[in-house]
Amino acid sequence: MRKGVRTSILAFTLICLLLTTSCGVRPENNLIEEIAPVIFWYVKKGENKNLKISTAVPPILKEKKQLFSLQVNLLKQGAKDFNLIYYREMKVGQLRMIFIDEQVAKKGIAKIVDSLLIDPDTSQRLFIVIVTGDFEGYLKKQMKDKENAEYYLYRMLKHYEDQNQGELTPINLHEYKKMLYTPYTDPYIPVFKADQQNFSYEGTAIFKKDTLVKTLTKMDDQVFQLVGTDNYLKYLAIPKLSVVLGRVHTAVDFNLNSSYSKLFIKVKMMGRLEDYQGENGMNDKNIEKMKSTIEAFMEERTKKLMKKMQHMHTDPFQIGTHTITPFGKTLTDKEWYKKWENMDIDVKYELQLGPLPRESK
Amino acid sequence: MFGKKRQAVDNRTTQTPVSLDGVKKSLTNMNDAQIDEHETISGIKVNLIYIKSLVDNERLNEAIVKPLIHDRSISVSEAIISSIKEKVYTLDEAKEALLNGHILLNEAVINEWWAIPLQSPLSRSIESSETESILYGAKDSFSEQIDQNITLIRRRLPIMELKSESFTIGSLSKTTVVLLYIEGLTNPDFITIAKEGINNIDYDFFTDSSQVSALMEKGNNSVFPQFQQTDRPDVCARALGIGQLIILVNNTPFALIAPVTLFDLFQSPEDYINRWVVASFLRVIRYVSFFLSIVLIPLYVALTTFHFQMIPLQMLFVLTESRSKLPFTPFWEAFIMLIILEIIKEASLRMPTKAGQTLGVIGGIVIGQASVEAGFASKVLIVLVGIAAIASFLVPNYLLTKANTLIQFILLFLASQLGVIGIAMGLIGILSHLNSLTSLKQPYLAPLAPLYMKDWKDVFIRGPIKTAKERPEYLKPLKKWRTSRRN
Repeated sequence: MRKGVRTSILAFTLICLLLTTSCGVRPENNLIEEIAPVIFWYVKKGENKNLKISTAVPPILKEKKQLFSLQVNLLKQGAKDFNLIYYREMKVGQLRMIFIDEQVAKKGIAKIVDSLLIDPDTSQRLFIVIVTGDFEGYLKKQMKDKENAEYYLYRMLKHYEDQNQGELTPINLHEYKKMLYTPYTDPYIPVFKADQQNFSYEGTAIFKKDTLVKTLTKMDDQVFQLVGTDNYLKYLAIPKLSVVLGRVHTAVDFNLNSSYSKLFIKVKMMGRLEDYQGENGMNDKNIEKMKSTIEAFMEERTKKLMKKMQHMHTDPFQIGTHTITPFGKTLTDKEWYKKWENMDIDVKYELQLGPLPRESK
Repeated sequence: MFGKKRQAVDNRTTQTPVSLDGVKKSLTNMNDAQIDEHETISGIKVNLIYIKSLVDNERLNEAIVKPLIHDRSISVSEAIISSIKEKVYTLDEAKEALLNGHILLNEAVINEWWAIPLQSPLSRSIESSETESILYGAKDSFSEQIDQNITLIRRRLPIMELKSESFTIGSLSKTTVVLLYIEGLTNPDFITIAKEGINNIDYDFFTDSSQVSALMEKGNNSVFPQFQQTDRPDVCARALGIGQLIILVNNTPFALIAPVTLFDLFQSPEDYINRWVVASFLRVIRYVSFFLSIVLIPLYVALTTFHFQMIPLQMLFVLTESRSKLPFTPFWEAFIMLIILEIIKEASLRMPTKAGQTLGVIGGIVIGQASVEAGFASKVLIVLVGIAAIASFLVPNYLLTKANTLIQFILLFLASQLGVIGIAMGLIGILSHLNSLTSLKQPYLAPLAPLYMKDWKDVFIRGPIKTAKERPEYLKPLKKWRTSRRN
């Protein structure tokens, strides 16, 4: 075969292969100095059943920042209408966070999530955060005081995501979608509280499908991080027992009986004693006693948390997935939740404490 | 002595017998031509004809004139005790001998002619290679003298199987070309193809071996060299040892190695001196650098023009700020900076060494820093241009380094029109083109395409010498094993 023909055939075949990946050969003009990449959307309830969406522009240049807000029926309508009021075209290709107001979340966020999912320009590595309070006020204040305040929020979420450090539970769009559309699973999202001065972590929002039903805070949130997620806790503070455990890792084993009437939860908890303000000395006997107390305390709190979930008919722990067996008949969602509500729960903790640096006498 | 050369010349010339008048006529208007008449003690009249600029005058007096005048022999052939003394019959032989630095010796009475080689040893000493310099290993390099170059190779391969066949090419330059190969090892097909290639060369003047390679190559329009040029005898000796052949060209220090593959051009003599792990790492770095040098700037243009989504957020901050006040689009910005870089590179080659520092200052500070401050180019691009330029020099073969500049421009244009997919298409085009190239009719992408897995031990990495017991399969050597026990 002639050389030119061979070259052409090879090049043609490889280019066809390239095009089958659905890469477009007519790229959109995105000259970076002419566009304004949007880093976040803030969605809250507007007037007359509308949504109010806000973002900060320009998000990265050394220009005076502005907070734009629009009343819209649809999320994408906002994206279009923003372009009509700003001299740079806003692009969502770098959208990294979507902040959803708690009130909107209580009504359901499936439509918002779906509109983000079907947008090919939006990455699924997009953090979803529930916000309570005056987030707009917080942003306006921050924009006056700091450059790139929203960027620091993104870095904070990314930091906790990378290290699986359960201080927060950052959830991205992909994870949320997976939890939302997987049978026997309900999603959860971190909740932040905003006011003029602060933007502080509140806890974890538990959803029933796409609707926020409960926000877990403080001890409940810590128990959830340990039992419901792969995270570890840098500190587990138990003020009631005057003790703080550090670098707490857990290995959780859920076991259902054959009739799905009883759930056994076995939690192997590893950590070290970080702080103890109690009155007992730190000898072996007292430490063993303390371990038993902590185990009993954690068992009680976990059981309580589980009961709350049963009451709310929600299953963020994905316990229902343990009913799936090869060749076995799968339960419908309805059947599972009915069994879940009435299930007896038995929790057993086994605490392993790391060696103390020096023995107290 | 002139047997091989006659092949190329005799067919086109008539066989005029050599005569003094004929030679004198040929030497008309050549002021460095000399015709001396001498008479021996025994009364024999001898004419010495030579070109002063080509012969060693001191040796002429010592080895020819003195013995000739003082000798009492009855014939000239007895008087000159030279081991290399050939009879000359035709005028063409006489002319060729004169031009090759021989002395023509004519016994006038009986009209007998001899040619005695007495070339002037006009050559520079053996120096270290400047184009392929290394820290460890042999330092010697070829010079412009072909005989000296053959000596350097023969010293490394003192075997009778190392054959050298001589050819003369160039109707004006009469350049000697020597084909070297190891008989019984190098594939005879390569030798036949190379001989055919050299014999088919029909051109007047040769200044360098690259012209020889250009006339022997099939893919003349390609930017990729299909013969490896080197001035290192150790590289040539190694090439011969694995079954490649060498073409030496007179008056140039650069030998040609063939058949070669693209991957041969990424190999450095130091690869075989360093520890294999280190050498492998460095070789991988070379491939990565080559890829970076052709793709980095086009990628910058593609990302800043079309695919801002792919830029890490932190980098996007820096880029947007850096580009916000520039008058040019990323394509023109990159294009201008690359052209300037090429100008600086070319200037640095032409300028005398002492002016090099000035060039560094102008290139680095004035053009680099000032262009950023003046708002012609972004800081990020300057950094990328610098990285790409340095990366391109990691490839040991300078011709390939030059080639990647052109590839960079092609990819740059594609990136500015189609973005990342344009770069992908460009790379596909390059890959297809490479696949179509051959070197002495052998595939240029071997051992990747066609696949010779065993040869991969010394392609992307340089495997341990202990494991490299076989010669590369893609070279189809007649002796497969490098160890004596297996052959």
